[in-house]
Amino acid sequence: MAATVTDPHVGEEGAEQSGRWTPRAGLLALGLGVALVAALTAAVSLGATDIAPGHVWSVVFRRLGGAPPRPGTDDLIVWQLRVPRALLAALVGAGLGLVGTATQALVRNPLADPYLLGISNGASLGAVTAIVLGVTAGGSLGLGLSGAAFAGALGSFALVWWMARRGGGFSPLRLVLAGVGVGQFLSGFTSYLVLQAGDEQQTRSVLFWLMGSLSGATWQMLWLPALAVAAGLPALQARARAMNALIMGDETAAGVGVDVTRLRRELFVVAGLLTGVLVAVSGAIGFVGLMVPHLCRLLLGGDHRRLLPLSALTGSLLLVVVDLVCRTAMDTQELPIGVVTAMIGAPALLFILDRRLEEGR
Amino acid sequence: MNVEIEELHVGYAGRDVVAGVQLMAAAGEIAGLVGPNGSGKSTVLRTVYRHLRPTAGRVLLAGTDLRTLSPGRTARQVAALPQERGSDFELTVREVVTMGRTPYKRAFAGDDRTDRETVARALAAVGMAGQGARRFSTLSGGERQRALLARAFAQDPEVLVLDEPTNHLDVRHQVELLALLRAQRRTTLISLHDLNAAASLCDRLHVLHAGRVVASGTPRAVLTPQLLAEVFGVRAAVTEHPLTGDPLIAFDHREPLPADGG
Repeated sequence: MAATVTDPHVGEEGAEQSGRWTPRAGLLALGLGVALVAALTAAVSLGATDIAPGHVWSVVFRRLGGAPPRPGTDDLIVWQLRVPRALLAALVGAGLGLVGTATQALVRNPLADPYLLGISNGASLGAVTAIVLGVTAGGSLGLGLSGAAFAGALGSFALVWWMARRGGGFSPLRLVLAGVGVGQFLSGFTSYLVLQAGDEQQTRSVLFWLMGSLSGATWQMLWLPALAVAAGLPALQARARAMNALIMGDETAAGVGVDVTRLRRELFVVAGLLTGVLVAVSGAIGFVGLMVPHLCRLLLGGDHRRLLPLSALTGSLLLVVVDLVCRTAMDTQELPIGVVTAMIGAPALLFILDRRLEEGR
Repeated sequence: MNVEIEELHVGYAGRDVVAGVQLMAAAGEIAGLVGPNGSGKSTVLRTVYRHLRPTAGRVLLAGTDLRTLSPGRTARQVAALPQERGSDFELTVREVVTMGRTPYKRAFAGDDRTDRETVARALAAVGMAGQGARRFSTLSGGERQRALLARAFAQDPEVLVLDEPTNHLDVRHQVELLALLRAQRRTTLISLHDLNAAASLCDRLHVLHAGRVVASGTPRAVLTPQLLAEVFGVRAAVTEHPLTGDPLIAFDHREPLPADGG
């Protein structure tokens, strides 16, 4: 056995914290879940035309029950416009929370950003190319644009992969160097294309897309991010213990039986595909993937078995609320969501870090 | 469970850092690796906990080639304390120690009663019972090292591999850690800078120099003034420790030997 000393605390310690879900974590997850439902309701209810929450739910239940919609604009606004948009915000937020957690473990840095891996730059280049070449007319986010963005994401993913594995290792430093290098290279092309954009309308739609937007949400756009999150969460959760070991160091991970190179490769594939899908449907929404896992870690500790689902939930809630603010803050126009996430996120993170440092522990 | 290393070669970028190392630890024995910086001690140990792959040669666990075992199977038999000192990821001491259960768990499996009891016993064995909820990053150097040792114990291993575990510890903490290892009576491979600590702790010593083993045997047989001059380039007298009777090396701290040795 591991130890020969008998210990009077064994029983107590076992009971004090039974496994991964502490009462505090469970309570927080429940609270976040309730808050998410409330935020989704508010997001569908508020807007240019306010619709009472009760009415929102009756429309949704009617649709879910398969009953024919009542004639009128409420059904259109609720079911065709606001519900898909709120759900897209929730899915993208959850995905960003997951991909942030995975990236931070992958490069062993609690403040790493998922866009560090260069994949969003590839997606942006794809999307901007499509806009400038006129694959989609105007600023609407059609499937053509998403397709181009996803193709760009896969291309940059392949490039970063190829560069990171040269020389054998998949070390954190190599990954970051490859990601930043490829990312800067591709964003140079993007800037060039923006300058070449024919008219002001094109430039405007490119910039709006680069700053992130959920404004083109449709039901057809939801299945891809839904699939990505539904596959990504269990894929990462299955590796949660190994990720715990990985953040202590490669040698520690190897010592507890983790195949480090393979785990990094798997995490990179999951993070890369998730990022590609998310950027393709929403543009590059910054700061959520950096902030959400870090915030959850400060609140609940770094055990990935808790951190992954809670980051997904927190990311969802955050993005639904932020998108609601973007839609309703100004009467005349929508704010780009990436601008607002940075404006809220950066000070929040600084405040938390500062308080944490002041605690002296 | 005994560990044997046969004709081990390990290279980085085409250059052999370890060139034909032959050494062993018999079951229940503490075998020490000593040698100057860069002599290949850490590299040898890293092949035993499978952070590095040998370019040639074999590592045998009770006669079984390590390469025929899965990483998880190896980790159920060999636990390591590498030189890494953790990170800022907000883990508690208990979460760090629970990592030792990783090789026993399937994907999605939570901690069961056995895991919790093993972790609590490991914490108690290093004198940290009741401190599981503390944040790992707030521990002192000595506490951190004990927590990492508890993680190794939680692996329930037959073999312990420790790379310079007393580095950066004050004397009191060094003595505590070594006493803890002595009390464990597990097959242990340990690299140590402090030759007096090695002489006191180890049943067997392997002296490495430039990627090769240049002497093996009991501390008393191996640690001679001639060897210390040739391998470490220092003048020293070897006597008997007045309190314990262990070999005691008294270095001449005034000046090193001329570069080509005495």
